Parts: sequence; structure tokens; C-alpha cells
Amino acid sequence: MLSAKNLGKRLGPRWLFRNLEFELGVGDALLITGPNGSGKSTLLRCLCGLEPVSEGSVTAGPIGIAAIDQAVYPDLTCQEHIDLMVDLRGTGDRKALELVNLSYAANLPAQKLSSGMRARLKLAMAVLHAPTVLLLDEPSATLDAPGIELVENLIADQLKRGCLVIATNDPNERRLANQEISLEV
Amino acid sequence: MTPTALFAILRKEFRVEFRSRSGFFAASLFAVMAVFAISAASFNSKLPGNLASGLVWVSLLFGSVIAVPRRFIQEEELRTADLLRLAAHPNAVYWGKTLFAIVETVAYGTVVSVLFFLLTSAKLVDPGLYCLGVLGTSICMGSVISLCGAIASQSANRTALASAISLPLIVPIVFMGIACLRVSMGEGLIPGGWRSGYGLVGYGIASLAIGPYLFAAVWKR
Repeated sequence: MLSAKNLGKRLGPRWLFRNLEFELGVGDALLITGPNGSGKSTLLRCLCGLEPVSEGSVTAGPIGIAAIDQAVYPDLTCQEHIDLMVDLRGTGDRKALELVNLSYAANLPAQKLSSGMRARLKLAMAVLHAPTVLLLDEPSATLDAPGIELVENLIADQLKRGCLVIATNDPNERRLANQEISLEV
Repeated sequence: MTPTALFAILRKEFRVEFRSRSGFFAASLFAVMAVFAISAASFNSKLPGNLASGLVWVSLLFGSVIAVPRRFIQEEELRTADLLRLAAHPNAVYWGKTLFAIVETVAYGTVVSVLFFLLTSAKLVDPGLYCLGVLGTSICMGSVISLCGAIASQSANRTALASAISLPLIVPIVFMGIACLRVSMGEGLIPGGWRSGYGLVGYGIASLAIGPYLFAAVWKR
């Protein structure tokens, strides 16, 4: 489902990470930890192809990603974001806002959402096409208690159909993973 | 690429444009100001066709330069381009955004033309040729500037680079566009004007045909 071979990423003269190898199947969850600037988010971007790798290769099935620094269109409503993603992917659940308890804000433009609501919208966009690989970057950073519970439910569903990679330093999220990579500065 | 994906991008562009009122409305404001300035400068005097065609064309050029490259540059600045990279085929992004740019430049060309002939003393001799000139110019400008915006959007100094790489591609459009509009306003020979008009359409089609290949190369990282 997701395999990385000899993965490395260099920024100028410095290697953010190098010689990373892992293979994830159904039910596997990989935790990526490390201090700020160690390359956790960059690794996720490399895994989904948004960032080129300096060496090595990644093989993956359909991917969904929800990242804390991911942007949304300020002028589009939540439902328009979902419809856009479904139309672009050619598949997906147009009622994905229900999965993240955001149906009540379906007609609100993204610029009027709180940071927690925006995080839920990104989650809905990441899972609407039932990806086999789900990448989450600091998934509970801006969420309240019900939001965190919701993420845990989504993760449980994800692990039934595929695998998961979480970049976080939150100790509560460590228990979700069965593999771990620790990056260093 | 599916038609659904293409129209999803096109629909998104219309929604973002009409809600943010950034590109077309800023360009239209420029059109109104430019035509008012020309009208005031030529008040009580006849505006010759060769000069009028140049003024219309300059208004079209600057309006397009204000509105069109923003489509791609704004996506990178807002960091929403990643959403499209993750979910969309590059051809859907290219065609959706380029079609929107062409619609935008045609609409802008119509606004400029209507205002120009209402507010100045310029005479139109061949309306069909004039329409071909504005349409051809709009297609060329929409596709060329849109593509330059896409290429430049990956760089740090986006706006300056978009202008710089647009320049050599716009020069042929300048010559053909002005020749076409000049004849439509009564200066020069009609067959030559139509040849320039067809040349514009051909240039537009050629740039649209090459565009997806160049775009695919710069879009995916």
C-alpha cells in the first residue's frame, strides 16, 4: 500500500532525512516524530508527491492528506470544496462533511471558519475518496475534545481499509501507531 | 482528464472571481479609466483609425496583463495549488484555467470596445473584422499570458517573471492584432486585415495546442 525505499531529502547542503525504508499494509500506522524543523511535514509531502525526493522512491496507492499548513479557498464554501474534490478525483462521497460533523457549516465560506472547523474540512477532503493511504500532519493540533474523538474514529475506519502515517509530537497519538520513525535536526 | 474535472476547475474559477472581485473587476476599472482618458484627450477632434486601433489594443493588453496571470500566481501564493496537484490531472487544470482566462479576456475586450465606441469619435468600418480582431487577440492573450503565469508561478519573483517571459510571445500578437483592428477602423486594405485576423486565430490555436505539454512539465513537482 505504501512503501518507501532508501528515501532521502536534501535542502541545500543539509539532509533532512536519509535512507528511510518502510512498508505499510492494511492496519499499519506509522508515527513520525521529531523536533520542529526536522522534516516531518516535508516527509509527508514527499510521500504524496507534492515535494520531489532527493533520492530513493515511494510507491503508494490512492492517497489522502490533511496537513496543518494546507490551504483552502477562502471564497469557496465547505460543500463547494467537497464537490470540487469529488469532481476532480472522479470519485468520492459528496456527504463527506457529515463524517467530520461539519454539515451545519456546508454553506459557510472557508474564510469564515474557525481553525478547528478548517481542520475538519481538510480531514473531510482527505478521506472523501476512501484513500488506502492517509497522511495526517498534526491532526489534532487545532481540534477540541469532540474533534479529537472524531479524528480517532476516522483513523479507526482508515486502518480497516488501508494504512496511516501521522506526523506529530502529541503523546496521545503515539498509541495509534505500530511503527515509528524519529527524525532529528 | 474528464470533462467533469475540467468544468469543476472552470466553475471554481468563476466562483472565486465573482466572490473575490480581483481580476476582471480590477481590469474593467482600468478599461473605464483608460477609455475615459482617451475620450478626454480626443474631445472635439476626430480620432484617426490607426491611432484608435493602437489605443484599443493597449487597453486590451494591459487589462489582460492585470487579470490573467493572477489565476496561477494566486493559487501558489494562497498555497491552494497543492489541492489541485493532489486531486486533478494537469490537463484539467490547464484547460479549466485557460478557458476561464479566454472568457475573461473576451468579456474584458467587449467592455473595452463598447466603452471605446460610445465615448470616442472613432469610426468602425468593418464590424466583423473588428470582432475577429478582438476575439483573436483575446484567445491569444488568454492562452499565452495564462501559460506564462503558470510557468512563472513556480518562481520566487512571479509577477516580474510572468511579464518578462510574456513579452516575446506577445510581440506577434501586437502586430497582427493592431493590423486587424486598424483595417476594421478604415485604415489599410481589407484583405490584409482579414489575413491578420486569421493569423491571430491560428496563433491562438497553436499556443493552445502547445500549452498542455509545457504546463504538464512545470505543474507536477
